[in-house]
Amino acid sequence: MPVSSVANSRTFKVTTPSDTDIQLTRLFDAPRHLVYEALTKPEHVRRWWGILDDKHSVPVCEIDLRVGGAWRFVGEGPEGRMPAFYGVYREIVPRERLVNTEFFELFPDAGSVVTTVLTEEGGKTRMTVTATYPSKDVRDMVLKTGMEHGAATSYDRLEEVAAGLA
Amino acid sequence: MAADQLSTTFAALADPTRRTILARLATGERSVSELAAPFEMSMPAVSKHLRVLERAGLIVRGRDAQWRPCRLNASPLKQVADWTERYRHIWEARFDRLDTYLQQMKAKEKAHARKQRRK
Repeated sequence: MPVSSVANSRTFKVTTPSDTDIQLTRLFDAPRHLVYEALTKPEHVRRWWGILDDKHSVPVCEIDLRVGGAWRFVGEGPEGRMPAFYGVYREIVPRERLVNTEFFELFPDAGSVVTTVLTEEGGKTRMTVTATYPSKDVRDMVLKTGMEHGAATSYDRLEEVAAGLA
Repeated sequence: MAADQLSTTFAALADPTRRTILARLATGERSVSELAAPFEMSMPAVSKHLRVLERAGLIVRGRDAQWRPCRLNASPLKQVADWTERYRHIWEARFDRLDTYLQQMKAKEKAHARKQRRK
């Protein structure tokens, strides 16, 4: 299996351009039409979006790719189904730009508007994702949730290491 | 650091005046009047901002009653930076998987194109 390029990985950046935004950017070594396809077709999204080890999958992955159309992703692991991420498409410019709302089932009041822009860069594709939250508090809560997930993953790893020692 | 302490830190950082004060303190300690100088703001208003920063643990004030210089305390800022770092890890992993998967899509597309040419 091809391993993702270290050079591309180094182009990954997270910034907070304003009090209510989180912006992610990364370069992908693939033509723009393939990146767009990977973002918008369920059979592809299932392959990269979730936690994705042999214990996790993405059993629900629905995309109604038209303005006003809904999307819904649900991950599943040994602990069961996770709360869904879902939203509605607001703007679609094939291969270039997607604007959609994104909600997390646990915090349905704290939705964001996500703008994804794909640009060609010397045969590669740069993806810039900007998530705009209703307030700074919500944005900060999302950053905090990131920490909790990260911590959970680390605990899983710790458990594996501990099991190996037994 | 307790979660409510982190909320206090985030709330303290939410204000542009307070961020400007912190940025100025990054270069060294300052008195309240020095900090107030660039703002069109009364001393009590500046003092109020300083109290918020002090409660959040972002600044430390000297004991001297006459001259209570303010000093930056960077450790809560580091906690905030750590949060962003964790969020970064999740997305970094997700994007790495996408990158890997795109290489498979590319290989498939190439193989498909070869097949088409042979027909």
